[in-house]
Amino acid sequence: MRLKLSYQEHPKHSELVSCVTWGSSSELYSVGDDHLILKWDFKSGETTQVAPLQKGTYVTHIDWLPAQAAGGGRKQSSRPEIFVLTCTDGRFLLVSSLGRVEKAVEAHKGAVLGALWSHDGTALLTNGEDGAVKIWSRSGMLRTSLAQSASPVYSTSWSPDSDQVLYTNGKSLVIRPLQPAAKPTHWKAHDGVILVADWSTANNTIVSGGEDRKYKLWDCYGRCLYSSLLHDSPIASLSWSPDGELFSVGAFNTLRLCDKSGWSHCLEKPSTGTIGALTWSSDGTQFACACSNGQTLLAQVVNRHLEWHNLEAVVGEDSIIRVKDVLTDAEERLELHDRIVKVSLGWGHLVAITPLQGFIYNSRNWTTPVTFDLKTTTVSLLLLTDRHFLVADNVSGLLVYSYEGRLVSTVKYPRGSVASLSVLTVSISVDTIAIRDKKEEKVVHLFDVASGKELREGKPLCHKVEIVSLSLSQSGPGSQRQLAFLDQNHDLFLTLVRETTPTQTYQTVSLGGMVGSIAWNDSTNMLAAVTDGRLAVWYHPLVAFTNKDLLPQTLVRQEDSNFKKSAQLVQFVGNCCVLRRDDGALITTSVSPFPAILHQYAASSKWDAATKLCRFVKDPALWACLAGMATNARDLNTAEVAYAAVNEIDKVHYIAEIKALPSAECRNAELALFSHRPQHAEAIYLQAGMVYKAIQLNTDLFNWERALQLALKHKTHVDTVLAFREKHLTELGSKETLAKFIECQGKVKIDWDTIRSKIENEENRGLQ
Amino acid sequence: MAVPAQPLPGYFYDELSKIRVLEPDTAQTTDELREECKDFVDRIGEFQSLVGSFIGMVDGLAQEVEKEKMKAIGARNLLKSIARERDSQKQQLQALLIEKKMELERLRVQYESLKQVEQDQQEITEDFGLK
Repeated sequence: MRLKLSYQEHPKHSELVSCVTWGSSSELYSVGDDHLILKWDFKSGETTQVAPLQKGTYVTHIDWLPAQAAGGGRKQSSRPEIFVLTCTDGRFLLVSSLGRVEKAVEAHKGAVLGALWSHDGTALLTNGEDGAVKIWSRSGMLRTSLAQSASPVYSTSWSPDSDQVLYTNGKSLVIRPLQPAAKPTHWKAHDGVILVADWSTANNTIVSGGEDRKYKLWDCYGRCLYSSLLHDSPIASLSWSPDGELFSVGAFNTLRLCDKSGWSHCLEKPSTGTIGALTWSSDGTQFACACSNGQTLLAQVVNRHLEWHNLEAVVGEDSIIRVKDVLTDAEERLELHDRIVKVSLGWGHLVAITPLQGFIYNSRNWTTPVTFDLKTTTVSLLLLTDRHFLVADNVSGLLVYSYEGRLVSTVKYPRGSVASLSVLTVSISVDTIAIRDKKEEKVVHLFDVASGKELREGKPLCHKVEIVSLSLSQSGPGSQRQLAFLDQNHDLFLTLVRETTPTQTYQTVSLGGMVGSIAWNDSTNMLAAVTDGRLAVWYHPLVAFTNKDLLPQTLVRQEDSNFKKSAQLVQFVGNCCVLRRDDGALITTSVSPFPAILHQYAASSKWDAATKLCRFVKDPALWACLAGMATNARDLNTAEVAYAAVNEIDKVHYIAEIKALPSAECRNAELALFSHRPQHAEAIYLQAGMVYKAIQLNTDLFNWERALQLALKHKTHVDTVLAFREKHLTELGSKETLAKFIECQGKVKIDWDTIRSKIENEENRGLQ
Repeated sequence: MAVPAQPLPGYFYDELSKIRVLEPDTAQTTDELREECKDFVDRIGEFQSLVGSFIGMVDGLAQEVEKEKMKAIGARNLLKSIARERDSQKQQLQALLIEKKMELERLRVQYESLKQVEQDQQEITEDFGLK
């Protein structure tokens, strides 16, 4: 990834540019010490003077009221747009887009150093040389004086949910909740005075920089995630990109583009003096810098690199995408004639989004793309699957398109909260979309792709702990669609989202702890994860729902992997896993190709071939996978062989017994029991009319109340249940405590002889 | 006509028989003095013009020297600033170099990992051949 810098031949400002901001319709506003507000239109390359400021007014900061708040949806679009200017004389000015000063407010003693609108635009946060941090209403009325410190506060930032505030205090960073009673978090962050800090809304990470010439990354608890090398000069400006993937750093004659994990993508040394302010455009493709020599520098992010199987795509300068097929060495040049906002490559397709239009290219035919129209210029998310792709924008919400450019569905998700979605919190598969709730981070909403409606009548998946990232399995039938998610404690969980017989709540299974990141394979249901600095691959995670004991055996850990702790999984395509180390290096590791082949055999029920493959490879993990697959597919012969191969003698016996059962229903029910799903087994029995079997199942599991309930409902074997319960109690030497049983006591006569004969009768019936 | 020896006391005749108030000797010396004075004034004048032109020349020279001096100082400063510029340029290049080195290291690690993958895959295909 590179930066393409564009300078003006002659600086438009005669003195230093103090601040820049992007307006609502992607034009740039800059203010300089020459008392000018300039408006830049980069399409036509023109600059216009908005308004001259009074002599003696030196501006320190500018911030545009967030567009969605200013418009308030579409209803109040006639409302004039405003921005805030802070001045060295202690005032801040609310200025309309035409340059008229609407209001001037005396805010601080000494200079006001910064002012930021909250993300919803309802509040304004100011900080000044007097060490005060204040919050104002939109009309400029003082709401609260949040903090008062001894030294000037150089920088502030809102938390992603706008209910906390980050500010700098000398060498420390402070997070201050807005509720007056809550305690602030306070930590020493740098060895010098901190000049800038920014909190990303997309990934909840804080970046700070100061006079110790370093920039550092923090999580919201104040733990240091990354500390940079020493620079030549103090860090003067920092800014997160809107999607939270990148941030840019400015200093004297220095401009740096960094990845969200801290390592630097590229370094530029423009001779522009100190870069005092940086702001990203809302689409995240470029940012503007305010330079001390009067230049307003525009930096575009170019040369994004994408890979998928044998295809490589590079998004170059001037809206050109170069696609290379590595196998044939054929190269294609795709020209788009407009700024490329988002690009995604996968499943044989390349989707590129420009303002107001999307282009879909097929890898078999690069020359004629399918186009579709968009309602907005900024798309926050673009995710591809095998058949569809998902586009998220603030105006029209979440849209699912097919590769023919047809709109498949609109996901019924609140439009306003689309902007905060990221790759970590949204996942799409062929039939399902999973989205973590914006406010309740423990909740995941699951939607059907075809209809856009929420699954299970809008009952979301609720977890006990905040969920950090989630991912849906990409292949296999819908009934096997699994959602893997990581919570804040780094525990990995798995759940089936589209079971054929849905239960009340989503059934989740824990796969283990200390997991850093996860990725599903693109073509088979294999799950890869980084745990403890090593790569772990579950060859067949579905086994967690059928036979949990097999799960550890299907897990393979790469022992020789040499990546450090915080490596991130980038993709898991074919039998190659791509990881990004914390220094930015990409590491490819290969995974055994056999599980994928085994998955294919199992999907097409070629059990003989699957067994043969396992015998050939002689890998216990593969046998364990086969055991799980065969049990799931109810192929008992293969399952028996596979269990024997992994030395699970008890299972072999069990399966042999199941095989000997006369009726298909019995076998299915027993298999369900074998897979630890007694409810499922009971349902099968009841459906087949084998009430006694269902009762017996419950008595065997000491599930007395349910057994009695069934017996009473079907008016059969009530005495049997009571007899077994009595026997059980006498063996334990305790008394009856269950109300229902006490009620029934004495009403039914218990005679073991009749019960035994009845049972015999039932069993004979079953054999016929 | 004969020259009277002494026409009147206090009056004298000269050779051209004109009547004079001064004694002829004195008159002659006075005359000589006047001549000499005139000569002196002329020479002084000449000297002044000479000195004047000399001063002019020296002034010009001084100006020239001053100019050269300023030039020298400027050149010296320029030299110093070039050295400084070099330094900062060197620093910038070094920063870029470190950046490139880090990128190279990243690519090296990636290359190593890809080589490992290739080796793994070769092993698998060889296994196939043996069995």
